[in-house]
Amino acid sequence: MLEIKGLHASINDREILKGIDITVKAGEVHAIMGPNGSGKSTLASVLAGRDTFEVTAGEVLFNGTDLLEMDPEERARLGLFLGFQYPVEIPGVSNVNFMKTAINEQRKFRNLPPVTAAEFLKMMREKMAVVEMDSSFSSRGVNVGFSGGEKKRNEIFQMAMLEPKLAILDETDSGLDIDALRIVASGVNKLKRPDNAFVVITHYQRLLDYIVPDVVHVLYDGRIIKTEGKELALEVEKRGYDWLINA
Amino acid sequence: MTDTKYTYTPEIPEVFRCRVPLPGTLQAFVNNGVLREPVENPSFSLRPYAGMGMEFRVEPGHKVEDTIQVISFRDSSDTSDIDFSSRVTFGKESSSSTLLCTHTLSLDKFNTQEVIDIRAEYGSRSHIAVMQNEHNDSSHKLKINISVEEGAFIRINFITLHGALLENEVIVKLEGKGAVCELNGAYLMDGAQVIKTNVMMNHLVPECYSSQLFKGILDDSAKAYFSGRIVVAKDAQKTQAYQANHNLLISETAKAYAQPQLEIYADDVKCSHGATSGRLDEMGLFYMRSRGIPVAEAKLLQQLAFVYDVLEKIENEHLRQRLHDLVESRLRGEFGHCANCSMNCC
Repeated sequence: MLEIKGLHASINDREILKGIDITVKAGEVHAIMGPNGSGKSTLASVLAGRDTFEVTAGEVLFNGTDLLEMDPEERARLGLFLGFQYPVEIPGVSNVNFMKTAINEQRKFRNLPPVTAAEFLKMMREKMAVVEMDSSFSSRGVNVGFSGGEKKRNEIFQMAMLEPKLAILDETDSGLDIDALRIVASGVNKLKRPDNAFVVITHYQRLLDYIVPDVVHVLYDGRIIKTEGKELALEVEKRGYDWLINA
Repeated sequence: MTDTKYTYTPEIPEVFRCRVPLPGTLQAFVNNGVLREPVENPSFSLRPYAGMGMEFRVEPGHKVEDTIQVISFRDSSDTSDIDFSSRVTFGKESSSSTLLCTHTLSLDKFNTQEVIDIRAEYGSRSHIAVMQNEHNDSSHKLKINISVEEGAFIRINFITLHGALLENEVIVKLEGKGAVCELNGAYLMDGAQVIKTNVMMNHLVPECYSSQLFKGILDDSAKAYFSGRIVVAKDAQKTQAYQANHNLLISETAKAYAQPQLEIYADDVKCSHGATSGRLDEMGLFYMRSRGIPVAEAKLLQQLAFVYDVLEKIENEHLRQRLHDLVESRLRGEFGHCANCSMNCC
């Protein structure tokens, strides 16, 4: 589904990603761990198409299509989703309208007519239940006045609405208490299917108790320094990163 | 349209009629500064004032249920520079909602100067929206003098869409204890448009409240000037006075100038002022685009979000919705007119 080959990226001439290779297949959950400043969020942003980063070398294929040539919105319409570490507040745009606009753009791209009001409401209700979101959220401005946990739940809700093929979750667990963490994780687990995939970026092993990864990568200084099965996460939790960095 | 009362009169050519009046609105027309037809009502009246302009009175103790909409338009029947004054009295403990619209119906180069003297009497509550939508070669200078008596509340929301040079000067005197004045404005300027906002907020007595929130979106080589002064007199203790001017610059050549000023002679007050100029938020745009929303739409949503809080200050729900729609079509680069109406009131 996703093939990252020799990816280099920099910001203001400072190289952040120094050659990344990752292959994600349909049905898989990958975790990317690493200390602060290792390039985890940069990788997520580059994959989603944020243009403040410059890709200097490498290739990213998403179901065979060259991702790097596309605008963020084109990537989204092809089925790529980024769950933000810091979701942005958009006062004046309600969650309902935001999602309706996004869904209809996606449908336009697939040559489908705009979603009907009844269909859309049904969809909203179902997907809000996935993350145990109160229906009053739908009329509120996107993320406006939401707590940290509510913002992250809103990310998972949006993911549920958009049904991406590949979801990249950037530190979705940061700032969550244990209940919110469980809700977010179970949301992800409910949405897992043989034909989609997840890349979960996290600092801590804690999230991976709930979302069990097939593959764990450790990213350090812009490079993947270790790739193994889920047991790697436990080892990192126990021993930290130093043994990997100094290896 | 059946639920709307018209002040439509035969002298006014049919084209001047607003085709899509808001529900619960009573309309009056001022053509090139002349009130076309007086309105007499137990609760309020609109009469000619000194030949041009109008005398507008809301009677003491009356609550006017309808929104009183005064549509002031320039057209080719008089293209000279005009200068006129109006007098407005909101009687004791009255309550009313007024919408003042300024439009142009022909492309002549108009110059309009207007002075409105407003007295908000004891305990009155007045909401005023000023909708400015003239063609982009027409200039309008509006000066509003407001005296606010004890316990009176007045709020003016300026929504400025089109016009060449638009000057709004507001001089407020908070004269009685507990008087409240709120001034808000949203201006959307592009091309070579210029807007000048000049506010003088005088807190003369204790325990009054004032707030100012002016926000603008400036594109191309548009310019916005904001000069706001709050003066708190020596005896005006327990004053609360706030002022904010924020501009969103869409192009490199748009300019915003802000001069916030505070003059405080009392020692027990809460006052603040703030002025910012910024550009579209890259992170916010990326967030929306990452959900599949095209960049142009994302920019539009962010601009709408920027002026959202000013529009939300408009109390009348129908009017608020109408103005949200007008602002949206303005931002989409369309000429501002109401949905379902083919007439350009500007």
